[in-house]
Amino acid sequence: MARFQALTNNVLDAELEMLRKRLGLARSQKAELLREVAGLAAWIVRQAEQGREIQARDGNNVEPLVHPALERVRAHKARPVGQSLALNDSEVERLTAVLGRPFNPPADLRAALASLANPGRRPPKLRWKKVVAA
Amino acid sequence: MPLRIEPLGPGHRPLLAGFQNQHPSLVEYLKRYALRHATRDLLARTFVAIDDTPSGTRLAGYFSLAAVSVDRAAAERHPNLTRLPRFPIPGGLLARLAVDTRVQGQGLGRYLFEEALGLTLHLAKAGPVAFRLLIADAIDATAACFYERRGLVRLGDEHPCRMVLDLRPILEP
Repeated sequence: MARFQALTNNVLDAELEMLRKRLGLARSQKAELLREVAGLAAWIVRQAEQGREIQARDGNNVEPLVHPALERVRAHKARPVGQSLALNDSEVERLTAVLGRPFNPPADLRAALASLANPGRRPPKLRWKKVVAA
Repeated sequence: MPLRIEPLGPGHRPLLAGFQNQHPSLVEYLKRYALRHATRDLLARTFVAIDDTPSGTRLAGYFSLAAVSVDRAAAERHPNLTRLPRFPIPGGLLARLAVDTRVQGQGLGRYLFEEALGLTLHLAKAGPVAFRLLIADAIDATAACFYERRGLVRLGDEHPCRMVLDLRPILEP
């Protein structure tokens, strides 16, 4: 384990040293280097959390950023299903109001229920627009 | 053939790449996780709207349903909440609902919501488990208004906004 850590530390040191040179920082500016690297990493993780894909573009060449850490971030964000939802006190109060109030469905819910009860219900006919979102 | 709703399966895989939506997370979920959640992890089931067009078969929209249990973050009893059923409260979670950007504004979102509501009501009424709530996570203000018009009430204020519909009055004869 100690040997693994020593090797890992050497690799990390070498990579950080390369980054330091590329970012134009002096040997004495290790704290600044870590701050800048952390800032860049935080931006990347934030984009992944918001479901955005990060790509390097050069004309028609597009290279997506792929990393196991980003996969973990995305998997974590994409897991709001099949689980227990814990409500805070204000949410519990609102839920209580919902469960305690008389049934007075809005027009669109009445329409949805009437539509479901209609045996002749048909899906909409779609017209596909040619505009393709970027 | 008219538009049809089908449970997402491996046969739909070639259609996933063509789906477009203004929310990257809704596109990414369909492309990367929906099939896995439905077939391998058994976390949620996704239903897709398949449209046969002259230029080929397309996936026009989808929604994902899962079972959910609503609990309280704080364990202590609240004096004003005596009317509330005991936690946890079982519900159906409309985890995602999305329509392809190119066919938005033509009633597909409404139709998909009806399908999701119909499936949830059917399960709640005739299924082997009881559901008291339909819960939806509105991804933005537009989605929240869409659900609000259909009787769902916001529990939180931030987006994605958790919204809830009490199924009991709808299920009562």
